[in-house]
Amino acid sequence: MAGWPSRRWPRADSVSAATLPTARGAPPFALLLGLVILGLALLLAVLGPGLLPYDPLSQEIALRNTPPDAQHWLGRDHLGRDILARLAAGTRISLLAALGATATALLLGAGLGLVAESLGRWPSFVVFGAFDMVRALPSILLAVTLMVALGVGMLPLVLALGIAYAPHMAAVARAAWRREQAAGYVAAARVMGAPPLATLARHIAPNIAGALVTQAAIIMPRAITTESVLSFFGLGLSPETPSWGRMISGATRFAEAAPHAVAAPVVALCLVTLGFALVGDWLRLRLDPLRR
Amino acid sequence: MTLLLALFRQTLLLAAIALAVFLLIRIAPGDVVDAMALEGSLDEEAIAELRADLGLDADWATQFRIWASRALGGDFGTSLRFDRPAAELIGAALPTTLLLAALALGTGLALGIALAAAAALWPRSIWPAVVEGLNLWSIALPTFCVGLGAILLFSVWLGWLPVIGQWLSPVLILGLDIAGQVVKPLHEDLREGATAAHIRTARAKGLSPARVVLRHLLPNAMTTVVALGGLILAGLVGGALTMEVLFGLPGLGTLAFQAISGRDYPVIQAVVLVFAAGVVVVNFLTDQTQRLLDPRLR
Repeated sequence: MAGWPSRRWPRADSVSAATLPTARGAPPFALLLGLVILGLALLLAVLGPGLLPYDPLSQEIALRNTPPDAQHWLGRDHLGRDILARLAAGTRISLLAALGATATALLLGAGLGLVAESLGRWPSFVVFGAFDMVRALPSILLAVTLMVALGVGMLPLVLALGIAYAPHMAAVARAAWRREQAAGYVAAARVMGAPPLATLARHIAPNIAGALVTQAAIIMPRAITTESVLSFFGLGLSPETPSWGRMISGATRFAEAAPHAVAAPVVALCLVTLGFALVGDWLRLRLDPLRR
Repeated sequence: MTLLLALFRQTLLLAAIALAVFLLIRIAPGDVVDAMALEGSLDEEAIAELRADLGLDADWATQFRIWASRALGGDFGTSLRFDRPAAELIGAALPTTLLLAALALGTGLALGIALAAAAALWPRSIWPAVVEGLNLWSIALPTFCVGLGAILLFSVWLGWLPVIGQWLSPVLILGLDIAGQVVKPLHEDLREGATAAHIRTARAKGLSPARVVLRHLLPNAMTTVVALGGLILAGLVGGALTMEVLFGLPGLGTLAFQAISGRDYPVIQAVVLVFAAGVVVVNFLTDQTQRLLDPRLR
């Protein structure tokens, strides 16, 4: 890895002002759009459940599948529950689950991977051998298998998603770690007799944080989507929990009668993944040293 | 020699995955007998008898030994739900999944390569923007969302397509997703390759831009497409699983869906293993093809 620049290294003339975000000047439109979308989602998740007058769980069977009106802006679902209230509660749950999963992946993948890599050849061989095994399965399949084993609920979900995405994080962390090994400051630390783990924590970690944050921004939306798919498969969170995935899986059976009940969580899901993609793309260009 | 070594590593990997999948599913709370007992009225005695009958009362090591030795001979056990061999259920579902994957892959690669070539040929036209747009589409919109959106738009609102059992939407959705993943790296590769000496020569001797791209640039860029194989495959597996369930196609995804809800362990294990084997084999082939195509890797 270290030594020669990769073939993907941008040539000087291909890096124009248009492709490279600059520190000064107005932020690009795509980034702004992404931030606005994510900001709105965050607002809905934090303030929504407190401000909205309806309970996401209370049912009114007589009024099931009613379309949006002045009181219930997004209508009611197949059990007569207010969709906006469920969407707000679901945003909170889905974002929390994805955040927990990403943090787990970061801790497990980057943490374990970097420590193993710092400790030498054999720990690295063992840890990355295990990660390679996990990575041979597509993450959705792995998450399904793990959820079957762990059962339904928030903690199993966060664990399953975290384990499924840990190898991706580990791969990025290892590539960044190896790149830094060639840098003068790492050699200087080694010459001065710093222990490998101290070098990792004090010197290397701050320098590869950018690459890890970028990868986290890529994993977050995938975790949100995988949660929905898992819930759709009858895994994931328990059926009563108003997560986006559970809202979708509950409403699809009544898609003919109440398309709005499917559309609301699907649109929310699409918008949030779009927001993460826009922000993540900017982060990648801005923080990934290989792209600078 | 390297080939044999790679083959050995992949076999080892597959065996490790088999063991892991087996153990994971045994950790699961509740087995098929519990699921059956919830539905019908089984007394304690009948439950114990059923467990002994299905071999679920033996310890894990014994269960794994029996299962593994049979699996090597192509016998993945009997579905606890349908009372048919798991291998038979998989055999019935596999063609649907393979056909869906092949159609999506064909559509996606054709679209991605054509778009990347067009964008490289006419850099000042709309095509480079289309490349960026399609790439953003596949990053930002998971196939699960697009599938649900397509059902709402084309089946529920417009009524143009039936919800269940049609192939057009799943193939197009997966194809667009693959095209979006391939098109940007390919376009970058074509642009980078355009500065190479042999391209300058080709232009200098008066070849048309179309001929330069199609004959001299694209063949070299094919290594990029092959290198993306693993990524495409991962997306395709997840995508095929969800698309089959969404659009009611009787493939492996639907089989997995039914097996999960019925706690049908032999079938879950077999489906996951078939997918894992497929991924391992394709990754192996991708690596070897890359070596064949790109002398620098040898």
